[in-house]
Amino acid sequence: MTHPPAIDSFSHYGPLAVLILMAVGFGVANLILTHIIGPSRKGEIKGSTYESGMNPIGTARQRFNVRFYIVAIAFLIFDVEIVFLYPWATVFGGLADSSGLPELFLARMLFFVFTTIIAFVYAWRKGVFRYD
Amino acid sequence: MSAQFYTSVITCLIMINVFLGAVSYLILLERKIASWVQNRLGPNRTGPMGLFQPLADGLKFLLKEDYDPLGVDKGLFRLAPVLALVPALIGWAILPLGGYMTWGDSQVLVAGAPINIGVIYILAVGSLAVYGIVLGGYASNNKYTFLGGLRATAQMISYEIPLGLCVLIIILMHGTARADYLVELQANGVWNVFYQPILAMLFFICSLAECNRAPFDLAECEQELVGGFHTEYSSMKLALFFLGEYFHLITSAGILVLLFFGGWDLPFIKEPIIGETAGIGWVLIKMGAFMGKIAVVLALVMVIRWTLPRLRFDQLMKLAWQSLIPLAILMLLETGVIVYLDFGYGWLTVCNVATAALVYFILPYLPSGPAINRKIELTGSRFSPPTEVAAN
Repeated sequence: MTHPPAIDSFSHYGPLAVLILMAVGFGVANLILTHIIGPSRKGEIKGSTYESGMNPIGTARQRFNVRFYIVAIAFLIFDVEIVFLYPWATVFGGLADSSGLPELFLARMLFFVFTTIIAFVYAWRKGVFRYD
Repeated sequence: MSAQFYTSVITCLIMINVFLGAVSYLILLERKIASWVQNRLGPNRTGPMGLFQPLADGLKFLLKEDYDPLGVDKGLFRLAPVLALVPALIGWAILPLGGYMTWGDSQVLVAGAPINIGVIYILAVGSLAVYGIVLGGYASNNKYTFLGGLRATAQMISYEIPLGLCVLIIILMHGTARADYLVELQANGVWNVFYQPILAMLFFICSLAECNRAPFDLAECEQELVGGFHTEYSSMKLALFFLGEYFHLITSAGILVLLFFGGWDLPFIKEPIIGETAGIGWVLIKMGAFMGKIAVVLALVMVIRWTLPRLRFDQLMKLAWQSLIPLAILMLLETGVIVYLDFGYGWLTVCNVATAALVYFILPYLPSGPAINRKIELTGSRFSPPTEVAAN
Protein backbone atom coordinates (compact mmCIF):
# COMPACT_ATOMS: atom_id res chain seq x y z
CA MET A 1 0.00 0.00 0.00
CA THR A 2 1.66 3.19 -1.14
CA HIS A 3 0.46 6.57 0.00
CA PRO A 4 -3.23 6.09 0.69
CA PRO A 5 -4.61 9.58 1.33
CA ALA A 6 -5.55 10.23 4.93
CA ILE A 7 -9.32 10.33 5.26
CA ASP A 8 -10.25 11.29 8.77
CA SER A 9 -11.91 14.67 8.63
CA PHE A 10 -15.59 15.10 9.14
CA SER A 11 -15.93 16.97 5.84
CA HIS A 12 -15.84 13.63 4.04
CA TYR A 13 -19.38 13.02 5.23
CA GLY A 14 -20.44 16.11 3.29
CA PRO A 15 -20.84 14.32 -0.07
CA LEU A 16 -23.05 11.81 1.71
CA ALA A 17 -25.42 14.59 2.75
CA VAL A 18 -25.52 15.81 -0.86
CA LEU A 19 -26.26 12.28 -2.04
CA ILE A 20 -29.07 11.79 0.52
CA LEU A 21 -30.63 15.09 -0.58
CA MET A 22 -30.45 13.96 -4.20
CA ALA A 23 -32.02 10.58 -3.40
CA VAL A 24 -34.89 12.07 -1.38
CA GLY A 25 -35.41 14.74 -4.03
CA PHE A 26 -35.55 12.12 -6.78
CA GLY A 27 -38.12 10.03 -4.92
CA VAL A 28 -40.38 12.91 -3.88
CA ALA A 29 -40.18 14.61 -7.29
CA ASN A 30 -41.25 11.41 -9.00
CA LEU A 31 -44.21 10.98 -6.64
CA ILE A 32 -45.37 14.57 -7.19
CA LEU A 33 -44.87 14.36 -10.98
CA THR A 34 -46.91 11.21 -11.37
CA HIS A 35 -49.60 12.67 -9.13
CA ILE A 36 -49.87 15.76 -11.34
CA ILE A 37 -49.49 14.13 -14.76
CA GLY A 38 -51.58 10.99 -14.35
CA PRO A 39 -55.38 10.97 -14.72
CA SER A 40 -57.63 10.76 -11.66
CA ARG A 41 -60.94 8.92 -11.61
CA LYS A 42 -62.19 7.80 -8.24
CA GLY A 43 -64.87 5.28 -7.39
CA GLU A 44 -66.32 3.16 -4.61
CA ILE A 45 -65.54 -0.21 -6.17
CA LYS A 46 -62.21 0.95 -7.59
CA GLY A 47 -61.06 2.07 -4.17
CA SER A 48 -61.84 -1.19 -2.43
CA THR A 49 -59.08 -3.51 -1.29
CA TYR A 50 -57.93 -5.93 -3.99
CA GLU A 51 -58.06 -9.46 -2.68
CA SER A 52 -58.35 -11.40 -5.93
CA GLY A 53 -61.99 -10.53 -6.52
CA MET A 54 -63.30 -11.54 -3.09
CA ASN A 55 -65.09 -8.93 -1.03
CA PRO A 56 -62.60 -8.17 1.75
CA ILE A 57 -63.70 -9.40 5.18
CA GLY A 58 -62.64 -7.16 8.04
CA THR A 59 -59.40 -5.27 8.22
CA ALA A 60 -55.95 -6.62 7.50
CA ARG A 61 -54.46 -5.10 10.63
CA GLN A 62 -55.03 -7.88 13.09
CA ARG A 63 -53.02 -10.32 15.14
CA PHE A 64 -50.31 -12.24 13.37
CA ASN A 65 -48.31 -15.33 14.04
CA VAL A 66 -46.08 -15.09 17.12
CA ARG A 67 -43.19 -16.80 15.30
CA PHE A 68 -42.34 -13.58 13.47
CA TYR A 69 -41.98 -11.90 16.85
CA ILE A 70 -39.65 -14.61 18.16
CA VAL A 71 -37.50 -14.43 15.04
CA ALA A 72 -37.17 -10.67 15.57
CA ILE A 73 -35.97 -11.22 19.15
CA ALA A 74 -33.44 -13.84 18.06
CA PHE A 75 -32.25 -11.40 15.39
CA LEU A 76 -31.71 -8.71 18.03
CA ILE A 77 -29.49 -11.02 20.09
CA PHE A 78 -27.25 -11.81 17.14
CA ASP A 79 -27.18 -8.33 15.71
CA VAL A 80 -26.07 -6.81 18.98
CA GLU A 81 -23.42 -9.51 19.25
CA ILE A 82 -22.09 -8.65 15.80
CA VAL A 83 -22.09 -4.93 16.58
CA PHE A 84 -19.99 -5.57 19.68
CA LEU A 85 -17.56 -7.67 17.67
CA TYR A 86 -16.80 -5.00 15.04
CA PRO A 87 -14.36 -2.95 17.21
CA TRP A 88 -12.77 -6.18 18.35
CA ALA A 89 -12.25 -7.35 14.75
CA THR A 90 -10.70 -4.03 13.74
CA VAL A 91 -7.94 -4.10 16.35
CA PHE A 92 -7.38 -7.83 16.89
CA GLY A 93 -4.99 -8.44 13.99
CA GLY A 94 -2.74 -5.50 14.88
CA LEU A 95 -2.08 -6.26 18.55
CA ALA A 96 1.56 -6.59 19.58
CA ASP A 97 2.58 -10.16 20.32
CA SER A 98 4.69 -9.46 23.38
CA SER A 99 2.03 -7.49 25.25
CA GLY A 100 -0.04 -10.55 26.10
CA LEU A 101 -3.09 -8.79 24.73
CA PRO A 102 -3.78 -11.21 21.81
CA GLU A 103 -4.44 -14.12 24.20
CA LEU A 104 -6.71 -11.96 26.34
CA PHE A 105 -8.65 -10.67 23.33
CA LEU A 106 -9.03 -14.12 21.82
CA ALA A 107 -10.24 -15.58 25.13
CA ARG A 108 -12.76 -12.76 25.54
CA MET A 109 -14.10 -13.24 22.04
CA LEU A 110 -14.37 -16.99 22.51
CA PHE A 111 -16.26 -16.50 25.77
CA PHE A 112 -18.56 -13.93 24.19
CA VAL A 113 -19.36 -16.09 21.17
CA PHE A 114 -19.74 -19.11 23.46
CA THR A 115 -22.50 -17.39 25.47
CA THR A 116 -24.29 -16.56 22.23
CA ILE A 117 -23.95 -20.15 21.05
CA ILE A 118 -25.60 -21.30 24.28
CA ALA A 119 -28.52 -18.95 23.61
CA PHE A 120 -28.67 -20.19 20.03
CA VAL A 121 -28.74 -23.86 21.07
CA TYR A 122 -31.44 -23.08 23.65
CA ALA A 123 -33.59 -21.37 21.02
CA TRP A 124 -33.02 -24.23 18.61
CA ARG A 125 -34.05 -26.87 21.17
CA LYS A 126 -37.10 -24.78 22.07
CA GLY A 127 -38.18 -24.99 18.43
CA VAL A 128 -37.91 -21.31 17.62
CA PHE A 129 -36.65 -22.07 14.11
CA ARG A 130 -39.24 -24.75 13.31
CA TYR A 131 -41.93 -23.72 10.87
CA ASP A 132 -43.75 -26.95 10.12
CA MET B 1 -14.13 22.12 1.14
CA SER B 2 -11.22 20.17 -0.21
CA ALA B 3 -10.44 18.50 -3.49
CA GLN B 4 -11.80 15.30 -2.01
CA PHE B 5 -15.18 16.93 -1.38
CA TYR B 6 -15.51 18.15 -4.96
CA THR B 7 -14.39 14.82 -6.38
CA SER B 8 -16.94 12.97 -4.29
CA VAL B 9 -19.79 15.31 -5.19
CA ILE B 10 -18.95 15.06 -8.90
CA THR B 11 -18.74 11.28 -8.58
CA CYS B 12 -22.15 11.22 -6.87
CA LEU B 13 -23.73 13.44 -9.54
CA ILE B 14 -22.39 11.37 -12.42
CA MET B 15 -22.68 7.90 -10.97
CA ILE B 16 -26.23 8.21 -9.66
CA ASN B 17 -27.36 9.00 -13.20
CA VAL B 18 -25.21 6.22 -14.63
CA PHE B 19 -26.71 3.76 -12.16
CA LEU B 20 -30.27 4.93 -12.82
CA GLY B 21 -29.72 4.44 -16.55
CA ALA B 22 -28.07 1.10 -15.86
CA VAL B 23 -31.06 -0.03 -13.80
CA SER B 24 -33.54 0.65 -16.60
CA TYR B 25 -31.38 -1.27 -19.04
CA LEU B 26 -30.81 -4.05 -16.52
CA ILE B 27 -34.56 -4.58 -16.49
CA LEU B 28 -34.44 -4.91 -20.27
CA LEU B 29 -31.49 -7.30 -19.96
CA GLU B 30 -33.40 -9.34 -17.41
CA ARG B 31 -36.38 -9.65 -19.75
CA LYS B 32 -34.04 -10.58 -22.59
CA ILE B 33 -32.32 -13.24 -20.46
CA ALA B 34 -35.74 -14.55 -19.45
CA SER B 35 -36.70 -14.83 -23.10
CA TRP B 36 -33.44 -16.58 -24.00
CA VAL B 37 -33.88 -19.05 -21.16
CA GLN B 38 -37.48 -19.74 -22.15
CA ASN B 39 -36.72 -19.88 -25.87
CA ARG B 40 -38.81 -16.92 -27.00
CA LEU B 41 -38.07 -13.49 -28.47
CA GLY B 42 -38.58 -11.06 -25.60
CA PRO B 43 -39.18 -7.32 -26.06
CA ASN B 44 -38.20 -6.45 -29.66
CA ARG B 45 -40.79 -3.98 -30.99
CA THR B 46 -39.72 -0.70 -29.34
CA GLY B 47 -36.70 0.45 -31.28
CA PRO B 48 -33.94 -1.80 -32.60
CA MET B 49 -33.82 -5.02 -30.52
CA GLY B 50 -36.20 -3.40 -28.04
CA LEU B 51 -33.62 -0.88 -26.94
CA PHE B 52 -36.17 1.89 -26.33
CA GLN B 53 -38.29 -0.35 -24.10
CA PRO B 54 -36.95 1.17 -20.83
CA LEU B 55 -37.91 4.66 -22.04
CA ALA B 56 -41.41 3.50 -22.93
CA ASP B 57 -41.77 1.73 -19.58
CA GLY B 58 -40.62 4.77 -17.63
CA LEU B 59 -42.96 7.06 -19.54
CA LYS B 60 -45.87 4.72 -18.98
CA PHE B 61 -45.16 4.50 -15.23
CA LEU B 62 -45.23 8.29 -15.10
CA LEU B 63 -48.43 8.68 -17.13
CA LYS B 64 -50.52 6.10 -15.26
CA GLU B 65 -53.00 7.06 -12.58
CA ASP B 66 -51.55 7.55 -9.12
CA TYR B 67 -54.32 5.99 -7.06
CA ASP B 68 -54.67 5.59 -3.30
CA PRO B 69 -57.26 2.92 -2.42
CA LEU B 70 -59.84 3.92 0.17
CA GLY B 71 -58.68 1.77 3.08
CA VAL B 72 -55.02 2.79 3.08
CA ASP B 73 -53.14 4.87 5.61
CA LYS B 74 -52.38 7.76 3.24
CA GLY B 75 -49.25 9.13 4.89
CA LEU B 76 -47.47 5.80 5.31
CA PHE B 77 -48.70 4.62 1.92
CA ARG B 78 -46.94 7.52 0.18
CA LEU B 79 -43.91 7.42 2.47
CA ALA B 80 -43.14 3.73 1.91
CA PRO B 81 -41.83 3.90 -1.70
CA VAL B 82 -39.49 6.76 -0.82
CA LEU B 83 -38.30 4.85 2.25
CA ALA B 84 -37.60 1.82 0.09
CA LEU B 85 -35.80 3.88 -2.54
CA VAL B 86 -33.57 6.21 -0.50
CA PRO B 87 -31.43 3.60 1.36
CA ALA B 88 -30.85 1.82 -1.94
CA LEU B 89 -29.85 5.04 -3.70
CA ILE B 90 -27.30 6.03 -1.06
CA GLY B 91 -25.88 2.59 -0.26
CA TRP B 92 -23.37 2.43 -3.13
CA ALA B 93 -21.64 5.64 -1.99
CA ILE B 94 -18.68 3.99 -0.28
CA LEU B 95 -17.77 1.73 -3.19
CA PRO B 96 -14.28 2.94 -4.21
CA LEU B 97 -15.21 2.85 -7.89
CA GLY B 98 -12.23 4.56 -9.48
CA GLY B 99 -9.37 4.19 -7.04
CA TYR B 100 -7.00 7.05 -6.26
CA MET B 101 -6.47 10.08 -8.46
CA THR B 102 -4.19 13.09 -8.39
CA TRP B 103 -6.07 16.39 -8.25
CA GLY B 104 -3.78 19.41 -8.20
CA ASP B 105 -1.30 18.76 -5.43
CA SER B 106 -3.50 16.45 -3.38
CA GLN B 107 -4.55 12.87 -3.80
CA VAL B 108 -8.22 11.98 -3.83
CA LEU B 109 -10.30 8.81 -3.81
CA VAL B 110 -12.89 8.54 -6.56
CA ALA B 111 -15.85 7.34 -4.51
CA GLY B 112 -19.24 8.72 -3.56
CA ALA B 113 -18.23 9.16 0.08
CA PRO B 114 -14.76 8.07 1.24
CA ILE B 115 -15.79 7.65 4.87
CA ASN B 116 -13.66 5.68 7.27
CA ILE B 117 -16.38 3.42 8.72
CA GLY B 118 -16.44 1.87 5.25
CA VAL B 119 -18.32 -1.36 4.83
CA ILE B 120 -20.15 -0.99 8.14
CA TYR B 121 -22.00 1.94 6.55
CA ILE B 122 -23.41 -0.36 3.89
CA LEU B 123 -24.77 -2.73 6.52
CA ALA B 124 -26.34 0.16 8.42
CA VAL B 125 -27.99 1.63 5.33
CA GLY B 126 -28.89 -1.67 3.69
CA SER B 127 -30.99 -2.83 6.61
CA LEU B 128 -33.04 0.37 6.48
CA ALA B 129 -34.65 -0.88 3.27
CA VAL B 130 -36.82 -3.24 5.28
CA TYR B 131 -38.81 -0.28 6.63
CA GLY B 132 -40.12 0.64 3.19
CA ILE B 133 -41.30 -2.89 2.58
CA VAL B 134 -42.95 -3.47 5.95
CA LEU B 135 -44.62 -0.04 5.90
CA GLY B 136 -45.82 -0.58 2.34
CA GLY B 137 -47.32 -3.90 3.39
CA TYR B 138 -48.88 -2.51 6.54
CA ALA B 139 -50.28 0.72 5.09
CA SER B 140 -52.08 -0.99 2.21
CA ASN B 141 -54.66 -2.58 4.54
CA ASN B 142 -54.70 -5.73 2.45
CA LYS B 143 -54.16 -9.22 3.83
CA TYR B 144 -51.82 -10.21 1.02
CA THR B 145 -49.62 -7.17 1.38
CA PHE B 146 -49.55 -7.57 5.13
CA LEU B 147 -48.39 -11.18 4.84
CA GLY B 148 -45.87 -10.19 2.18
CA GLY B 149 -44.47 -7.44 4.38
CA LEU B 150 -44.20 -9.77 7.39
CA ARG B 151 -42.46 -12.43 5.36
CA ALA B 152 -40.06 -9.95 3.82
CA THR B 153 -39.18 -8.58 7.25
CA ALA B 154 -38.52 -12.01 8.73
CA GLN B 155 -36.47 -12.97 5.70
CA MET B 156 -34.39 -9.82 5.58
CA ILE B 157 -33.57 -9.73 9.28
CA SER B 158 -32.72 -13.44 9.28
CA TYR B 159 -30.25 -13.12 6.42
CA GLU B 160 -28.82 -9.92 7.88
CA ILE B 161 -26.98 -11.99 10.52
CA PRO B 162 -24.81 -14.20 8.27
CA LEU B 163 -24.25 -11.16 6.05
CA GLY B 164 -22.97 -9.15 9.01
CA LEU B 165 -20.79 -12.08 10.11
CA CYS B 166 -19.23 -12.31 6.64
CA VAL B 167 -18.32 -8.62 6.69
CA LEU B 168 -17.04 -9.04 10.24
CA ILE B 169 -14.73 -11.88 9.20
CA ILE B 170 -13.30 -9.84 6.31
CA ILE B 171 -12.65 -6.92 8.68
CA LEU B 172 -11.02 -9.35 11.11
CA MET B 173 -8.71 -10.66 8.38
CA HIS B 174 -7.53 -7.23 7.25
CA GLY B 175 -7.90 -5.16 10.39
CA THR B 176 -9.65 -2.31 8.62
CA ALA B 177 -13.17 -1.46 7.55
CA ARG B 178 -12.22 1.15 4.97
CA ALA B 179 -13.29 0.14 1.49
CA ASP B 180 -10.25 1.50 -0.38
CA TYR B 181 -7.80 -0.17 2.03
CA LEU B 182 -9.59 -3.48 1.54
CA VAL B 183 -9.21 -3.17 -2.23
CA GLU B 184 -5.55 -2.09 -1.99
CA LEU B 185 -4.76 -5.06 0.26
CA GLN B 186 -6.37 -7.42 -2.22
CA ALA B 187 -4.73 -5.74 -5.22
CA ASN B 188 -1.29 -6.13 -3.64
CA GLY B 189 -2.00 -9.65 -2.43
CA VAL B 190 -4.55 -12.27 -3.31
CA TRP B 191 -8.28 -11.76 -3.73
CA ASN B 192 -10.23 -12.76 -0.66
CA VAL B 193 -12.29 -15.28 -2.58
CA PHE B 194 -9.22 -17.55 -2.69
CA TYR B 195 -8.77 -17.30 1.07
CA GLN B 196 -12.46 -17.58 1.95
CA PRO B 197 -14.41 -19.38 -0.78
CA ILE B 198 -17.13 -20.56 1.60
CA LEU B 199 -17.59 -17.05 2.90
CA ALA B 200 -17.95 -15.65 -0.62
CA MET B 201 -20.68 -18.19 -1.36
CA LEU B 202 -22.37 -17.39 1.95
CA PHE B 203 -22.29 -13.68 1.19
CA PHE B 204 -23.71 -14.19 -2.28
CA ILE B 205 -26.61 -16.29 -0.97
CA CYS B 206 -27.36 -13.77 1.78
CA SER B 207 -27.29 -10.80 -0.56
CA LEU B 208 -29.74 -12.58 -2.86
CA ALA B 209 -32.06 -12.98 0.11
CA GLU B 210 -31.51 -9.39 1.23
CA CYS B 211 -32.57 -8.11 -2.19
CA ASN B 212 -35.66 -10.34 -2.29
CA ARG B 213 -34.35 -11.97 -5.44
CA ALA B 214 -35.18 -15.42 -6.68
CA PRO B 215 -34.95 -18.06 -5.29
CA PHE B 216 -35.76 -16.02 -2.17
CA ASP B 217 -38.47 -13.74 -3.59
CA LEU B 218 -41.12 -14.89 -1.13
CA ALA B 219 -42.20 -11.34 -0.40
CA GLU B 220 -43.78 -11.06 -3.81
CA CYS B 221 -44.54 -14.59 -4.90
CA GLU B 222 -47.38 -14.25 -7.37
CA GLN B 223 -48.94 -17.64 -6.80
CA GLU B 224 -49.57 -17.14 -3.09
CA LEU B 225 -49.70 -13.42 -2.38
CA VAL B 226 -50.95 -11.79 -5.63
CA GLY B 227 -48.13 -9.22 -5.81
CA GLY B 228 -46.84 -9.30 -2.26
CA PHE B 229 -46.25 -6.05 -0.46
CA HIS B 230 -46.85 -3.87 -3.52
CA THR B 231 -50.23 -5.29 -4.55
CA GLU B 232 -52.06 -2.00 -3.93
CA TYR B 233 -49.44 0.24 -5.53
CA SER B 234 -49.71 1.79 -8.97
CA SER B 235 -47.86 4.15 -11.31
CA MET B 236 -44.56 5.69 -10.19
CA LYS B 237 -44.94 4.46 -6.60
CA LEU B 238 -44.68 0.89 -7.87
CA ALA B 239 -41.76 1.87 -10.06
CA LEU B 240 -39.91 3.33 -7.06
CA PHE B 241 -40.12 -0.02 -5.27
CA PHE B 242 -38.64 -1.76 -8.31
CA LEU B 243 -35.95 0.88 -8.67
CA GLY B 244 -35.00 0.47 -5.03
CA GLU B 245 -34.85 -3.28 -5.40
CA TYR B 246 -32.57 -3.13 -8.45
CA PHE B 247 -30.35 -0.49 -6.89
CA HIS B 248 -30.03 -2.69 -3.81
CA LEU B 249 -29.02 -5.54 -6.10
CA ILE B 250 -26.32 -3.43 -7.76
CA THR B 251 -25.03 -2.31 -4.36
CA SER B 252 -24.95 -5.89 -3.07
CA ALA B 253 -23.08 -7.06 -6.15
CA GLY B 254 -20.69 -4.13 -5.64
CA ILE B 255 -19.99 -5.14 -2.03
CA LEU B 256 -19.46 -8.74 -3.10
CA VAL B 257 -16.90 -7.55 -5.66
CA LEU B 258 -15.35 -5.17 -3.14
CA LEU B 259 -14.99 -7.74 -0.36
CA PHE B 260 -14.12 -10.87 -2.30
CA PHE B 261 -13.19 -10.12 -5.91
CA GLY B 262 -10.68 -7.36 -5.51
CA GLY B 263 -12.74 -4.29 -6.33
CA TRP B 264 -11.07 -2.30 -9.10
CA ASP B 265 -8.12 -4.69 -9.29
CA LEU B 266 -7.40 -6.33 -12.63
CA PRO B 267 -5.23 -9.44 -12.35
CA PHE B 268 -1.86 -9.16 -14.15
CA ILE B 269 -2.50 -5.55 -15.22
CA LYS B 270 -0.99 -3.16 -12.71
CA GLU B 271 -0.78 0.58 -12.62
CA PRO B 272 2.80 1.80 -13.32
CA ILE B 273 3.24 3.43 -9.91
CA ILE B 274 0.24 2.96 -7.66
CA GLY B 275 -1.06 6.21 -6.24
CA GLU B 276 1.70 8.46 -7.57
CA THR B 277 0.80 9.30 -11.13
CA ALA B 278 -2.80 8.10 -11.27
CA GLY B 279 -4.51 10.15 -13.95
CA ILE B 280 -8.04 10.16 -15.25
CA GLY B 281 -7.25 7.35 -17.69
CA TRP B 282 -6.45 4.87 -14.96
CA VAL B 283 -9.51 5.98 -13.03
CA LEU B 284 -11.69 5.14 -16.02
CA ILE B 285 -9.97 1.76 -16.48
CA LYS B 286 -10.45 0.89 -12.81
CA MET B 287 -14.05 2.01 -12.93
CA GLY B 288 -14.57 -0.17 -15.98
CA ALA B 289 -13.05 -3.14 -14.18
CA PHE B 290 -15.26 -2.58 -11.14
CA MET B 291 -18.43 -2.18 -13.21
CA GLY B 292 -17.53 -5.16 -15.38
CA LYS B 293 -17.23 -7.39 -12.33
CA ILE B 294 -20.55 -6.07 -11.02
CA ALA B 295 -22.16 -6.79 -14.40
CA VAL B 296 -20.91 -10.38 -14.34
CA VAL B 297 -22.39 -10.90 -10.86
CA LEU B 298 -25.70 -9.36 -11.98
CA ALA B 299 -25.88 -11.60 -15.04
CA LEU B 300 -25.30 -14.59 -12.77
CA VAL B 301 -28.13 -13.40 -10.50
CA MET B 302 -30.48 -13.11 -13.48
CA VAL B 303 -29.66 -16.58 -14.77
CA ILE B 304 -30.21 -17.93 -11.26
CA ARG B 305 -33.65 -16.33 -11.20
CA TRP B 306 -34.75 -18.36 -14.22
CA THR B 307 -33.02 -21.55 -13.08
CA LEU B 308 -33.91 -22.23 -9.46
CA PRO B 309 -37.43 -22.72 -8.08
CA ARG B 310 -38.58 -20.57 -5.19
CA LEU B 311 -38.06 -21.80 -1.63
CA ARG B 312 -40.96 -22.36 0.73
CA PHE B 313 -41.08 -20.14 3.81
CA ASP B 314 -40.12 -22.84 6.31
CA GLN B 315 -37.25 -23.95 4.07
CA LEU B 316 -36.10 -20.34 3.85
CA MET B 317 -36.01 -19.85 7.61
CA LYS B 318 -34.42 -23.25 8.12
CA LEU B 319 -31.66 -22.38 5.65
CA ALA B 320 -30.91 -19.11 7.42
CA TRP B 321 -31.05 -20.18 11.05
CA GLN B 322 -29.97 -23.80 10.95
CA SER B 323 -27.38 -23.74 8.17
CA LEU B 324 -25.95 -20.33 7.33
CA ILE B 325 -25.69 -18.84 10.83
CA PRO B 326 -23.92 -21.86 12.47
CA LEU B 327 -21.61 -22.04 9.45
CA ALA B 328 -20.82 -18.33 9.67
CA ILE B 329 -20.09 -18.58 13.41
CA LEU B 330 -17.81 -21.55 12.77
CA MET B 331 -15.94 -19.55 10.13
CA LEU B 332 -15.63 -16.63 12.55
CA LEU B 333 -14.03 -18.87 15.20
CA GLU B 334 -11.67 -20.44 12.65
CA THR B 335 -10.60 -17.09 11.26
CA GLY B 336 -10.09 -15.67 14.76
CA VAL B 337 -7.81 -18.55 15.70
CA ILE B 338 -5.85 -18.29 12.41
CA VAL B 339 -5.37 -14.55 12.85
CA TYR B 340 -4.23 -15.16 16.43
CA LEU B 341 -1.73 -17.85 15.44
CA ASP B 342 -0.45 -15.56 12.64
CA PHE B 343 0.51 -18.43 10.33
CA GLY B 344 -0.44 -16.56 7.18
CA TYR B 345 -3.69 -16.54 5.30
CA GLY B 346 -2.90 -19.59 3.20
CA TRP B 347 -4.13 -21.57 6.20
CA LEU B 348 -7.54 -19.93 5.80
CA THR B 349 -7.93 -21.69 2.47
CA VAL B 350 -7.00 -24.97 4.14
CA CYS B 351 -9.53 -24.24 6.88
CA ASN B 352 -12.24 -23.51 4.32
CA VAL B 353 -11.66 -26.74 2.46
CA ALA B 354 -11.53 -28.66 5.75
CA THR B 355 -14.81 -27.07 6.85
CA ALA B 356 -16.48 -27.95 3.57
CA ALA B 357 -15.29 -31.55 3.89
CA LEU B 358 -16.36 -31.70 7.54
CA VAL B 359 -19.84 -30.40 6.75
CA TYR B 360 -20.17 -32.77 3.81
CA PHE B 361 -19.19 -35.88 5.75
CA ILE B 362 -20.74 -35.08 9.13
CA LEU B 363 -24.07 -33.76 7.93
CA PRO B 364 -25.78 -37.18 7.47
CA TYR B 365 -24.93 -38.14 11.08
CA LEU B 366 -26.22 -34.98 12.73
CA PRO B 367 -29.56 -35.23 14.52
CA SER B 368 -32.21 -33.58 12.42
CA GLY B 369 -35.90 -32.96 12.70
CA PRO B 370 -38.52 -34.53 10.46
CA ALA B 371 -37.64 -34.28 6.80
CA ILE B 372 -39.01 -31.19 5.12
CA ASN B 373 -40.52 -32.92 2.12
CA ARG B 374 -41.35 -36.25 3.70
CA LYS B 375 -43.63 -38.70 1.98
CA ILE B 376 -46.88 -39.33 3.83
CA GLU B 377 -47.85 -43.00 3.69
CA LEU B 378 -51.43 -43.58 2.55
CA THR B 379 -52.23 -46.31 5.06
CA GLY B 380 -52.92 -44.87 8.49
CA SER B 381 -52.99 -41.24 7.33
CA ARG B 382 -56.05 -39.07 7.12
CA PHE B 383 -56.17 -39.64 3.38
CA SER B 384 -56.60 -43.42 3.59
CA PRO B 385 -60.11 -44.84 3.28
CA PRO B 386 -61.45 -46.32 6.55
CA THR B 387 -60.93 -50.06 6.23
CA GLU B 388 -63.99 -51.10 8.31
CA VAL B 389 -66.31 -49.26 5.99
CA ALA B 390 -64.67 -50.84 2.99
CA ALA B 391 -65.03 -54.34 4.53
CA ASN B 392 -68.74 -53.84 5.11
